[in-house]
Amino acid sequence: MSGLRQKILSTASDLFQTQGINSTGVDTIVATAGTTKMTLYKYFSSKELLILEVLKEGHQDFQTWLNDKLSANTKHPAEKLQKLFDYIEEWITAPDFNGIGFIKASAEFPREDNPVHKLSTEQSQQFREYIKQLATEANIKDADGLSLQLSLLFKGAVQAEHMQRGSDAVKYAKIAAKILIDGSLTR
Amino acid sequence: MDIFDSPWLINMLAKSSKTPEGRLLGLFDILNDWLKAPSLEQANVTLGAPNSLLISYCVEEAKSLGAENPELLAEHIVLIAQNAARHAITQPESNSLIHAKKVALALIQAQTQKSVIAADIKGSHSALYGVAASVVILIGAAAIWAPMFMHSQSAQAQLAQQEQLNTTIIQNKALTAIDASRMYAKYEQMRQGTCQFPEVLQIPDEHKSIYLENVVGGKLPNDLADLSVANFYLEKVRCNFTPMLMAASK
Repeated sequence: MSGLRQKILSTASDLFQTQGINSTGVDTIVATAGTTKMTLYKYFSSKELLILEVLKEGHQDFQTWLNDKLSANTKHPAEKLQKLFDYIEEWITAPDFNGIGFIKASAEFPREDNPVHKLSTEQSQQFREYIKQLATEANIKDADGLSLQLSLLFKGAVQAEHMQRGSDAVKYAKIAAKILIDGSLTR
Repeated sequence: MDIFDSPWLINMLAKSSKTPEGRLLGLFDILNDWLKAPSLEQANVTLGAPNSLLISYCVEEAKSLGAENPELLAEHIVLIAQNAARHAITQPESNSLIHAKKVALALIQAQTQKSVIAADIKGSHSALYGVAASVVILIGAAAIWAPMFMHSQSAQAQLAQQEQLNTTIIQNKALTAIDASRMYAKYEQMRQGTCQFPEVLQIPDEHKSIYLENVVGGKLPNDLADLSVANFYLEKVRCNFTPMLMAASK
């Protein structure tokens, strides 16, 4: 991949997360990345395409990081599920955390027919599927229900954290997740 | 009609239950019924940002039930309700509001567990004093020490025990599945009752994080060394297993 393309992507990602997607113009992105509009449009034919690429990369980074953490530090499926919110907390409370892309994007593009909204819904669904897979491996009977509960809990905590940094939302979400997981394990 | 911006919702919530917990959870039942109402045309459903009226109402309810951080609890519950309501519109068969209600209940429990513990510890008859007293009696000076001093003696005695404990820990081995399941069983049992935890001030600094995370927080320890420490403190937790409903009806 071209270094310049990557530079534009990471600059746009930082700006989208810190200033918002809609309020970040292409001019700001090229000025911050030290390039030109022509170069940006050479790699991304539109701002929308750039947003989609940023979202895809951000989601991939988050999922890979989470998966690596869980695979490296846990052995048993039930333990993976229990540790999920520990790592989510680690990600969210990191000093450079600026939000979860698909949650911010879905709020900024509320229209359901918008491609950015569609992609963020898809990523949200993928994340839920990931939780469902962990729950299924842990032999949880209602894996589908638990995955919906944990994804609602996760999304709400991230939104609360977006509104107010250091809100402790994830701290309580972690305890609540444990209550929900244990409740479904004993069923 | 924007349901989250309607005084009707507040009126319905106020009527929904006699307890603050019931009124907070009532939000999910009301939304569920409202979205399932046959006369409702989905095209007219708008779910805007919750207005300050709804949030303020929930903050007051969260305060009444003794939440540690009522503002956060109210905000988190309303966000979950909104997300679940949106989900219910696109996927009505998912029962998302019913699941969301379970999430809200778990959050209420998460925010009120420690208040119960703190209240218990403040009580003059807590098990803590029992532990402190027995240690002091053993060294034969119970009659002359004030309760404050008893605390510090108890802490010193515990410290000595911990040192002994530390010497028995040889290496940091990973937990086996059996260890993990035993710990989960202990946590599960603890959750069935109202438990009194030793005060964190009494615990040596190097064990505070293990105590808070792996005993109070109910998180599985990382290795066998932490597990031994966590088990040591788990033994000190005193729980009352009177069913909550029975206790509440007294």
